[in-house]
Amino acid sequence: MLHRLGVLALLVRMFVKSQMEYRGAFWLDRVAQILSYGAVLLTIWILLNKFQLLGGWNWPELALLFSFQLLAYSLGASMSFTQLNTLEDLVRMGTLDALLTKPINTWAYLIFSGLNIGYAGHIILAIPVLVWALMAAEVQWSVGSTLFFVGSLLSATMVTGAIITMIGGTALIWVRSNHLFAIFFGFWELTRYPLNIFPTGLQVVMLTIVPLAYISTVPVAVLLGKPVPLLGDFAASVTLLAGPVLVLVAIAHWRYALSRYQGAGG
Amino acid sequence: MTALIEARGVSKRFRQHKRFPGLLGAFKTLVTAEYTEVTAVSDIGFDIAAGEAVGYLGPNGAGKSTMIKMMTGILVPSAGTLSVLGRTPHQQRMANAHEIGVVFGQRSQLWWDLPVIDSFTLHQRIYDIPQARYAENLKRFSTLLDLTPFLDRAVRQLSLGQRMRAEIVMSLLHDPKILFLDEPTIGLDVVAKDAVRKFLAEINRERGVTIILTTHDLQDIETICPRLIMVDQAKLIFDGELHRLRAALGSARRLTLEFVTDPGPLALTTATLTADEGLRKHYLLEREDVSLVQILGEVGSDRGLKDVALHEPDIEEVIRTFYQRRNAAATVAP
Repeated sequence: MLHRLGVLALLVRMFVKSQMEYRGAFWLDRVAQILSYGAVLLTIWILLNKFQLLGGWNWPELALLFSFQLLAYSLGASMSFTQLNTLEDLVRMGTLDALLTKPINTWAYLIFSGLNIGYAGHIILAIPVLVWALMAAEVQWSVGSTLFFVGSLLSATMVTGAIITMIGGTALIWVRSNHLFAIFFGFWELTRYPLNIFPTGLQVVMLTIVPLAYISTVPVAVLLGKPVPLLGDFAASVTLLAGPVLVLVAIAHWRYALSRYQGAGG
Repeated sequence: MTALIEARGVSKRFRQHKRFPGLLGAFKTLVTAEYTEVTAVSDIGFDIAAGEAVGYLGPNGAGKSTMIKMMTGILVPSAGTLSVLGRTPHQQRMANAHEIGVVFGQRSQLWWDLPVIDSFTLHQRIYDIPQARYAENLKRFSTLLDLTPFLDRAVRQLSLGQRMRAEIVMSLLHDPKILFLDEPTIGLDVVAKDAVRKFLAEINRERGVTIILTTHDLQDIETICPRLIMVDQAKLIFDGELHRLRAALGSARRLTLEFVTDPGPLALTTATLTADEGLRKHYLLEREDVSLVQILGEVGSDRGLKDVALHEPDIEEVIRTFYQRRNAAATVAP
């Protein structure tokens, strides 16, 4: 077990070393990321300056929603997105074949050999905004709410990683998965806003088929004591369970996809 | 001796979404759920014993890589049974992984941006190779394949030949019992090909590593593999020693005799005269057991024989003849 962890740590080190071959580009990328997410935050601020409330949420609450979503997403995606987004290329080029002949868990190898430190930009932006928003918004702090905050952030991270893993895993069967990622990001952008501003149909989708509501609006609404559409009192427990449950589903899906793997030719 | 690899009636069929031609067809492809089955490997069986070196030969699309992928556990056979080192490859992929080495000629397993040695270190950790063993193997193989000068260079700066040598060394660091190579010499120049072939032959001979390699370069097989398995259109068409292929596929040797003066028509019992140019006469040797000495004995020493040229058809020619005949047969058959 310890030996396995050592291998994973080495994979991360090697990946970081690879990235540092292109140091300049790396930092330029981070700055670009901070600027682009900063611009989104600015848009929300401008909107709120004009309208005061959005679906009953004020500026600090929306800043909390934005930063919670960004943090949960970047933590979850650093463990999955870049690695699995390129899985279809690995399948097409046959690189995955070579990986399958190694005595190491394929998913773990993929994830840790590409653990994306590029999300540093997201995190550098998200944490200060989150800290400010937690203080500015009216959160009723207690032991319970603190535990809920940590637990729901963890669960949200798992939801992100699990959904991305499932989408990426489809490349093992269909070779292509990019169109699914496009759909994912379509919904993902909506999670920067409170769930209650969307029509009921969309709310249902985001709580079930594309359960992205659990990476931001559900946990943050619970934390702020706001009503959660459709889930009501169950919101807190559902959002805490969503992560672990989806991780189990993602593992089963990944195994199934690997067993159906056909390679890409020859 | 029990076989290291046993294949019995192994088949692999791929299901492909049926594609329709043209723009309208593209839409039709999107909405229909029709599939075509493509058979990549059909009812193939063989045994490979420890220490053998086997060349797996066939034209593009004959199912060579698919067979390698099944033997290494990447793909699941559609039918038949396959056993590698006593295990079913796809079910015990991880267990087998420790005892096999795999090299894919067209896809690198090295880390592109890092020095070669970093990929080797990772390999050591993944396969849990004891330090002493690792150091010894690294030293020995690096010397044999002349890797030492570029071990510290980033993989992206290497030539294809250097990279392939590094790939092969890496695949052997954990002392695998079987080494699978899928087109290991593809794209290499003559010198690099030669280095790779000699190295593989030596590893097979000295370390007893069982080698299975796919190729369409016959020279690979002539240098490395005493045994040849030939596939065509998913089916096995020959399995045996290389020198038997000629006989099996029915290609004869050709002999040219050159004389100082024309001895006139010269019929031999050991060879068939095919062309007579007077001073030069061409024969076909249909029997494998006839030696040049026997023929020269029959010609005799008093006919003014100046020169002799025996033309052994190379495998390439043998195989070409085989395909031509097969295609001719296919057009004749009802």
